[in-house]
Parts: sequence; structure tokens; C-alpha cells
Amino acid sequence: MDSLEDVSNQSYLDNNDTDFDYDLVPPCAQQNNHSVQLVVGPYVHSIICILGLVGNSLVIVTYALYKRTKSMTDVYLLNVAVADLLFVASLPLIVYNELTAWSMGPVVCKLLRGSYSVNLYSGTLLLACISSDRYVAIVQARRSFRLRSLTYSRLICAAVWVLAVLLSVPSFYFYSLYQPTHSRDFFMDEEDGNSTDSTEYVCELRFMDSTEALTSKVALPSMQLAVGFFLPLLVMVFCYSAIVGTLLKARNFQRHKAVRVVLAVVAVFVVCHLPYNLTLLYDTTSMFNLQSCEDVDFLKTAKTVTQTLAYLHCCLNPVLYAFVGVKFRNHFQRIVQDLWCLGKRYIRPRRFSRVTSEIYVSTRRSVSSENGSSFTM
Amino acid sequence: MVSIKASVMVITLLTVCLLATNASPGCCRNYMKTKIPFLKIKGYSVQTVTGLCPISAIIFHTKKGKACTDPALNWVMYYVDRLRNKAQMVHMKSTQAGI
Repeated sequence: MDSLEDVSNQSYLDNNDTDFDYDLVPPCAQQNNHSVQLVVGPYVHSIICILGLVGNSLVIVTYALYKRTKSMTDVYLLNVAVADLLFVASLPLIVYNELTAWSMGPVVCKLLRGSYSVNLYSGTLLLACISSDRYVAIVQARRSFRLRSLTYSRLICAAVWVLAVLLSVPSFYFYSLYQPTHSRDFFMDEEDGNSTDSTEYVCELRFMDSTEALTSKVALPSMQLAVGFFLPLLVMVFCYSAIVGTLLKARNFQRHKAVRVVLAVVAVFVVCHLPYNLTLLYDTTSMFNLQSCEDVDFLKTAKTVTQTLAYLHCCLNPVLYAFVGVKFRNHFQRIVQDLWCLGKRYIRPRRFSRVTSEIYVSTRRSVSSENGSSFTM
Repeated sequence: MVSIKASVMVITLLTVCLLATNASPGCCRNYMKTKIPFLKIKGYSVQTVTGLCPISAIIFHTKKGKACTDPALNWVMYYVDRLRNKAQMVHMKSTQAGI
């Protein structure tokens, strides 16, 4: 009981109101992160949202109206566009709710966090599927007739979505809307008793007991790192390096362009996702250590910035995957021209009708000539 | 021109709204190395790992601000008990006054 006496002694000594000099260790306010979020939240995210909405809707509209999904790659590209579109559509809702203390309620909280997770997994896993599809088409060209069919790719896409939903079940389950306990005061002096209970609601992970909390707080980000990033990265690096090897051996005048596209696809994936995932990895490993508030603030700011970079990938996918293809571009041009003609018809009828058909002298140049659609540049 | 004006308005409004909202209360990520004089403490709150914070802590509210302390330490829990007793006394006094 030595310690107790110690405590009471000290408090008696301190009875007179002299300023006892003590350095407080306060909760971390995250000033820098907050000011970065103020800029990134509404402004950068709205740019990402608009670019993503435009790009991915163009891909979907092109497929829906003009290019009936004929190849495996088309099915994958359409699914990637749908995943990205869902994500950028939910982005303004997430930003709005984070700024207004989740004013849209607990159901929206669960749905937004869950769908974020679904889109994260489906997005990157589908990109891995595209790389393995191209691998089969180009490197394993002989087997590709057996392995590459429409029903096959639809099944794979369905499997990817089911897997993404399954991996997101913990997010749906554990995210909830609540007032964090550490901001609730349990006892305040009666003198200045009007301590306003202005605790904000948060939409965060919440667990029943501490062992469940400690395991899940490591397991959830680890799963995201492993299945949402490192697995697709490994698949892509393996498939695309084999593809580049095959392309460099082939005698095709288009091969350099194909290699450039492959390198761009991998480079953009790495540049967008690696910084965020490394930050997440560091955050997960150092989470339970005692840290200074400066370090915490720096790490949170880094997370905010790198996460935005990762979001940017959604806007780049339409360019990297759909619009690099000559066939896709042709279909897209036809839409633009048809719309143009439709507009013109009201003013000057029958003037451009001949031009549209003439432009479509096919400029198709395929790298893997037998398997056509997979890698048309 | 109308659209530019409208968008400027929206952006200004958003910024004002943003600046008005406080950041959600941060977590304790470290503990006090020294004791706090008990009489400086006005109240406390509890940080658990089941919420968004990675470590658990007892946060004492002093006149100078909040202080994060380690719940594994004896003096911390002793302070919490004393604060609870104090609160109990306040409660009893106020109910007596009510009667």
C-alpha cells in the first residue's frame, strides 16, 4: 500500500494552489492531418469523382450501346468499369458523411464502409484477372481457345465479386456508428459543470471485447494488404513479365507499343497503390506501440495523401485499359460522331451522313493476331 | 457566369462548414511518465481498444488540458476510484437536497 500513501501525500502537499509543473501527455489532435483532409476531402476528391464518373461511364456506355461484349477481355473491362464507377459514386457520400459526423445514419455508415471494401477487392482482383487473361492469350496462345470463352470469363467475374463480398463481411459487420467513449466525460467538477456533451459520432470499427478488437485490428488490414494488393501485384508482375518476354521475341512492328502499354499498366498500379499499402503496412505493425503525437500526425497525414493517390487509379483505369485499344476507341468515336450528327440533324439535316461510314475503314492492328481482342492496340 | 458564381458559393459554403466542424477527438497514443496532483483533476474519460483507438488509457481532465495515463498503473486506478467516490458524494448530496 506504499503507492497509495505516496499518492495521498503528494495530493496533500499540493493542497495550496501553487502551479505544480507537470508536462501533460494529451490525446493526439492530428492538426496536420486535419488540415490536409480539409483540402483533400472536398476538392481533390471531387476532381477524382468527376474524372472517374466521366471515364467509367463512357466505358460502360460504349459497351452497352455499341460494342457488344464479345471477348473475355471485354467482360473484364466492363466489370472493372462497374467497380470503379460504384466506388467513385460512393466517394462524395463518404466525404459528405465524414464531414458531417455521419448525418445519414448507421445504415449508410455500414453500407458505405462495406461497399468501399467490396470495390477495393473487386477492383484490384479484376485487374489481376485481366493480366492473367492476357497471359493466356499471348504466352499460352495454343491453349487459349480452350481456356478463353465468354461463359468462363463471366464465371470468373462472378467469382471475383462473390469473393470481394465475402472478404468484406467483416467490414459490414464491425463498422458501426457510435460516440467514442474516450471523448465522453465521466465526471466533471460541479463548479464548471456545464461541460457540453458535443461528442461527435464516428463510423469506425467497433468490437465486443478487447481480444476480438486486437486480433481484428491486425487481421483486417493484413487481409487487405495480402488479398487486395500483394496477390494482384504478384499475379500482374508474373503475367506481364512473361508477356513482355514473349512480345520481345515476336516479330511484330507493334510490339514496342504493346510493351509500353504493359509497362504503363504495371507502373501506374504500383505508383498508385504501393505508397498507400506501405503506409498501411507500417501503420498495422506499429499500431500498438507508444508513439509521439507528431509521429501519429505524420503517419495519418501520409495515409490520407497516399489513399487519395490510390483513389486516383479509378480514373486512370478507363484510359489504361479501354481507351488504349484501337477497337474500343473506334467504337467510342462512333458514339461521339453519332451524337454529333444527332445534334446537327436538327440544324442542317443530311450533311454528315456520308462521313461516318468512311472513317471506319478498319485500322485494326492486332498484336496477337489469332486471339484478336485481347491486346488490340 | 451564373454557374461560376454558384460554384464559388458552394465552395465557400463547404469551406465554412468544414472549418466549423471540429475534428473528432484524437486517441491517446502515449502515457504520462509522471503523476498528476489529484486536486488538479476535474474529471476523467476512458479510452478502450474496442473502439477506434489502438491502446487503452484513462484520460484525466485537468485545468491545463487532458492527460493520457496508463490504466495498468496503480495510482491511475486509485485516482479513478477517488473520483468515483467524489461523484457519488455529489450525487447523494443532490438527491438529499431534492427531498
